[in-house]
Amino acid sequence: MDTRMLEPLAVPEVAPPERSLSPGRWVKENLFSTWFNGVLTVLLAALLGWALYKIGRFVFVDARWEIVEVNLTNILVFRFPRDELWRLWAGMFVLAAAFGVGAGVAARLKREEEGGGGPGTTSPLTTLRRLGPLIAVAGVFLWFAKSVEGTLLVLAIAAVWGVARFAGLQIPPRRARWAGGGVLLAIVLAYVIVTSFGGVGWSEGWGGLLLTVFLAAAGIAISFPLGVLLALGRRSSLPAVRIVCITYIELVRGVPLITLLFLGAFMLGFFLPPGSDTPSLETRALVALVLFTAAYVAEIVRGGLQAVPRDQTEAAQALGLSPLKTTRLIVLPQALRAVIPALVGQFISLFKDTSLVFIIGLTELLAVSELITKQPEFLAEGLIIETLVFAGFVYWGGSYWMSRESQRLERRLGVGER
Amino acid sequence: MTETELGSATRPGGTGEPMIVLEGVEKWFGHFQALAGVDLVVGRQEVVVVAGPSGGGKSTLIRCINRLEKHDRGRIVVDGIELSDDIRHIQEVRRETGMVFQQFNLFPHLTVLENITLAPRQVRRWPKKRAQQKANELLLRVHIPEQAHKYPGQLSGGQQQRAAIARALAMEPKIMLFDEPTSALDPEMIKEVLDVMEELASSGMTMIVVTHEMGFARAVADRMVLMADGEIVEVGTPEHFFVNPREERTKQFLSQIL
Repeated sequence: MDTRMLEPLAVPEVAPPERSLSPGRWVKENLFSTWFNGVLTVLLAALLGWALYKIGRFVFVDARWEIVEVNLTNILVFRFPRDELWRLWAGMFVLAAAFGVGAGVAARLKREEEGGGGPGTTSPLTTLRRLGPLIAVAGVFLWFAKSVEGTLLVLAIAAVWGVARFAGLQIPPRRARWAGGGVLLAIVLAYVIVTSFGGVGWSEGWGGLLLTVFLAAAGIAISFPLGVLLALGRRSSLPAVRIVCITYIELVRGVPLITLLFLGAFMLGFFLPPGSDTPSLETRALVALVLFTAAYVAEIVRGGLQAVPRDQTEAAQALGLSPLKTTRLIVLPQALRAVIPALVGQFISLFKDTSLVFIIGLTELLAVSELITKQPEFLAEGLIIETLVFAGFVYWGGSYWMSRESQRLERRLGVGER
Repeated sequence: MTETELGSATRPGGTGEPMIVLEGVEKWFGHFQALAGVDLVVGRQEVVVVAGPSGGGKSTLIRCINRLEKHDRGRIVVDGIELSDDIRHIQEVRRETGMVFQQFNLFPHLTVLENITLAPRQVRRWPKKRAQQKANELLLRVHIPEQAHKYPGQLSGGQQQRAAIARALAMEPKIMLFDEPTSALDPEMIKEVLDVMEELASSGMTMIVVTHEMGFARAVADRMVLMADGEIVEVGTPEHFFVNPREERTKQFLSQIL
């Protein structure tokens, strides 16, 4: 009998044969193995070099970045009153502290889960790599700002995060469930600091990157649970619930986002009872983004729900779990895990689609980038390329960061599949 | 108890006290009749093994007992609770009834320990510590205490099925239903699962086991049931069933399987 089958984990691992090549041989084998490949290599190298030269020359020599330098605050917050900027800094400090504690608690939980209370496995270097794209964006902002004060403040925020993370590591896991609530509370606190007690409400003057990030974050936070509910509703055994959800999803998915934005901006008044206050343009834009994204999230999540075998539901039912708990503890976790890539893709789309709100008159990042080229000192100078490249870089930083976080999450949750 | 008494489908074995009562149970899937009037009474602490050709209604029968399938006609009473559309009765029966599936059906996103503690904590509302203590006892009982913190995907088939048995036992059920628990296993893993089931049977658990493992049936069953075409063809003690079957259908089945 093959005894290895009884103890499949005891099979000694044998490393595959190693194959190392000298650099010279590597080049010959991979780039110049035939005369045709050699020609291709030379041609592509020339093309690549030319493109790099063009881009490098534009970024470092030709581009007139002074338009970005002068308008840095406009790009970040646009019309946000300059006297109240301290509120944004204060908010960021609160968030840094809260997310730092959260990260610490999460790291400790993960460590204990994997057994062994040894030293933390995540070094500060890993954290820096994880935040790489965001740090790159922040670095470029600071480079343009050339402000000692700003740099010190950003470094202080990072320091607060680090200290908070260290504090979070000291929290024993049995208290960990408070951490989630704490982070939520801190988000509310940061919001209150910025908007209340003489502050500026988000629809009363937020703009630039601030508005972009807010629309994306709030959009994700609201559309995700809404989408999950719609997906569950679509599979409901109650015909009324099912029909409402299907109708909603199919209607919204059949309409371009721009149409929804226009509908929200110009036609909402017709649907509201007469005499009621019309919500601000910002609110209407957010509602349109949320309604649009929720329909797509619903279909993505439905795909995940269908991927969970019926056996899983039966096993949970046989144990006496109620339908609600079966969904919440057994079906949804497996369904969501299966659709992380698609889900994050949808959220990245939402992040970039926030730029569309500029056509109904909001001045988020893209709108500001366009507007500043019309300032008297830059008018007719043709600097739109500079501002668009810069805005594109900021969008890329956010998107790439989300994409990498999604891959990390997949690896982390995929632990059972190994 | 004499042989003829045990040969009756409606006279319970075990302690003689009826634990599961089925009266004229019928079940259709569309136009296909899966159960065509089944009468069976299982006694407390009795082990009943159900055998028969595939498609004969064995799985459907035990899936009706914990309401994974809804029966269309007849009565099913489990430990004094009649199964009806009343969700409270269904939940009550499910709490008292453990089930082990052919494909194990462990929850892949939870560790073995979490698989086992989930239902006691969520359904019985046990504190975490008590549930974990129970889980560790059970893992010892099914001989895989070292696998507690692994995920199901990291275990062999036999280990997974034993973890699934521990998961069902964690609810401290009065009845265990086994739906072909060794059919999906590699041959060398069957024995480790059957051993656990045998230990369970000798501890006095009321069990209904659908299986093709006739060696196990002969050693453990109090009564054998042969099902075909949605009906009970023959009921009897293993001695009677294997050595001296009455029905032609039983002889035919045994000649194919032994």
